[in-house]
Amino acid sequence: MKHITKIYGNGVLANDDMNLELAESEILAVVGENGAGKSTLMKILYGLEHPTAGEIYIRGEKQVFKNPQDAMKSGIGMVQQNFMLLPPFTVAENIVYGNEPRKSRFLFDRKKAKAEVDELSERYGLGIDSNLVVEDCPVGLQQRCEILKVLYQNADIIIFDEPSAVLTPQEVDSLLDTLRNLAKAGKSIILITHKLNEVMAVSDRCIVMRGGKHIATVKTSETSTKELSAMMVGREIVDAKIPQATPGKTVLEVNDLVKTGEAGKPILKGCSLHVNEGEIVGIAGVSGNGQTELLHTIVGLMQADSGNIVLDGKEIGGLDVRSIRETGCAYVPEDRNTMGCALKATLSETMLMAHQYEEMFNHKGILKHKTAAERFTALLEQYDVKYSTLSQLSGELSGGNLQKLIVAREMSHHAKLLIVSEPTRGVDIGAMEFIHNQILKQRAEGGAILLVSSDLTELLKLSDRIYVMYDGFINGELKRAEAKPENVGILMMGGSADD
Amino acid sequence: MDINYVLSVVNSALRSTTPILLAALASAICTRSGVFNVALEGQMLIGSFVGIAVNWVTHSPTLAVLAAIVAGGLVGALVGILQVRYNAADMVVGTSVNLLVGALTAILLFVVFGVKGGFKDPALVPLPKVKLPVISEIPYLSTLFNNLSPLDYLSYVIAIVMYIYLFKTVKGYHLLSVGVKREAAESMGISAVKTRIAAVIASGCLCGYGGVALSMGQVTLFAENMTAGRGFIGMAACNLGKNNPIAIIFASLFFGFSDAFAATTQNTIPSQLTQSVPYIATILALIVFSRKRKKKATKTEESKAEAVS
Repeated sequence: MKHITKIYGNGVLANDDMNLELAESEILAVVGENGAGKSTLMKILYGLEHPTAGEIYIRGEKQVFKNPQDAMKSGIGMVQQNFMLLPPFTVAENIVYGNEPRKSRFLFDRKKAKAEVDELSERYGLGIDSNLVVEDCPVGLQQRCEILKVLYQNADIIIFDEPSAVLTPQEVDSLLDTLRNLAKAGKSIILITHKLNEVMAVSDRCIVMRGGKHIATVKTSETSTKELSAMMVGREIVDAKIPQATPGKTVLEVNDLVKTGEAGKPILKGCSLHVNEGEIVGIAGVSGNGQTELLHTIVGLMQADSGNIVLDGKEIGGLDVRSIRETGCAYVPEDRNTMGCALKATLSETMLMAHQYEEMFNHKGILKHKTAAERFTALLEQYDVKYSTLSQLSGELSGGNLQKLIVAREMSHHAKLLIVSEPTRGVDIGAMEFIHNQILKQRAEGGAILLVSSDLTELLKLSDRIYVMYDGFINGELKRAEAKPENVGILMMGGSADD
Repeated sequence: MDINYVLSVVNSALRSTTPILLAALASAICTRSGVFNVALEGQMLIGSFVGIAVNWVTHSPTLAVLAAIVAGGLVGALVGILQVRYNAADMVVGTSVNLLVGALTAILLFVVFGVKGGFKDPALVPLPKVKLPVISEIPYLSTLFNNLSPLDYLSYVIAIVMYIYLFKTVKGYHLLSVGVKREAAESMGISAVKTRIAAVIASGCLCGYGGVALSMGQVTLFAENMTAGRGFIGMAACNLGKNNPIAIIFASLFFGFSDAFAATTQNTIPSQLTQSVPYIATILALIVFSRKRKKKATKTEESKAEAVS
């Protein structure tokens, strides 16, 4: 039905002689690591970029897309990673945006818009209240809003660019259901992702890309996660053998932490935990059950109402962030774009953040740029971060590289306690493996690590002990040998370990 | 106090409101499209001057008003092209344009009329006053609505039309969307640059109208720098009215009253003090409103959290 061949190049060869075919009602996954050229290929298809050579055919007809509007007219829609929604407007207003129903020539018929949107959302089983204002919607609903927007434009081919990167696990499940429904309704879907379990769960066929090249096209039913990941990375991914942990003395001790949020809503209902030297302690839980607040309280971003926190024998409850860091705590925050770094700061500034007072970089208030630059260059090399110069902006790095940079910054100072939250969210398999190995290395050197992740596989793989949080308290503690997805899952839902 | 005296103060307030209302509406359309326009003052002053100049040459108030609107629009186009097309800094463009127009009108005043400071001539034709059919017969109401020009009445119509445009039409929705999120607009093929330049030109026309309402409203004359900060007061009114044309009417009336209050009390209280009343009131009002908004923001955060859980 469709046939694309194109070569793209402007100094960087992003796509090298790619072919892609998509049938009606098909879900095609395009997988590859960050920088493999998946996004470029899709941007070409959507008219955001122009191919250096090659052609696009839709239903046998040759197409030239000057801009996304051309692509939309040919029935191609794209759900982008960063949503193109207008936060202060309602769901209905957003969905009809650009193709608004009118009464008379000028007036915007909001009633009709709402009726049309409701009808559409019902037809595809998307279940969304079209009266909601977008900025009040959780991310999952905002994404549905984007999907409906594309459907409203009558798209037959829908491109999803890393749709699950921003979602919670439950939202991912409902997204996958939506994808299946859309395909059943006759839409053709291209799913760009590097999460192989999603590929296995929904796609019919899968194209693997690496370094801008087409590596393989396989039927999903005839392949496995292992084979796909090997093709993506270009080598076999070996599950790291994790040696037995040898916990030493206690580094972090949290006792009976209580925190009440605004409007009297309890957030932490008496959490106690401890982390020892040479041990990775995981915190499992459905997001929003107090994990973020717990970490924020430990690192000093939030103050608890009662309870105490002891780091390396010193009470740190009530201290400010800097003092806590100086006592021996490093923190990789869950959101690298807002807390992990400043997107408009240069790489060297980003690397320096929180360490600017250290003697290594600071001589009586004057920054030692040269020493810093030398150290950062070595560090980025060691952590395999791909960048051009230290003076480029951190926002210009790809997600995986930025994450590695932040991990490098936090780990390089060998703090007694390392807190890592969602260390591999939105990074590719290669980077994930690398970050995991770094965390394990830190453990081998006697570091105490507190790990929060919504990725259960990751938690179970790395943690020597797991605390499961539910509704603001710790609902159970499991040792590595006891922790299985099933019993952790029960605890996460508020059940008891004996069930 | 004499009721007729109070009514005449209100009447004077209504007349002072017009230029401020127009400047505030001009500010609103720019802000809604995502442009911070500081050049309102200059856009108004050119309108005041061109209105009087054309009036003097043609003896036609209608032509004078139209010319003032065009002149304001041209200055607006300059501002729009510099700020939107070439991304020049808003404060720099605004301040330069305000100073430029101030100097330009002073020079032209000398070149065209051969006078310095101000120009007043019996040959200037004042705007006709609207005589309301029934109301002008009723004793008190006639004082209230005395001496108002068509420009005064029309300004409220413009505010209502702008409200309908922004919140009821498709084009207005597109303008709002450009102000909210430029990338989203562009992803739908709506040009942010064109929309914004058009908004700034429209603001120029509104300011030109406001300017001529000042020079041909209560009096018919031009004085150097006669706008005296009304462009900025308009920005404050727009802010108080949260960029909503209907709310802006009330915010502008508030400033119009402050103006009238300052004018009527300047003999009893030092005028520096009375004239600072609007600004003190603005600061207080902004504090009150920002606290309210903050409260609302935390509330929506909470409801969001509940929606997730």
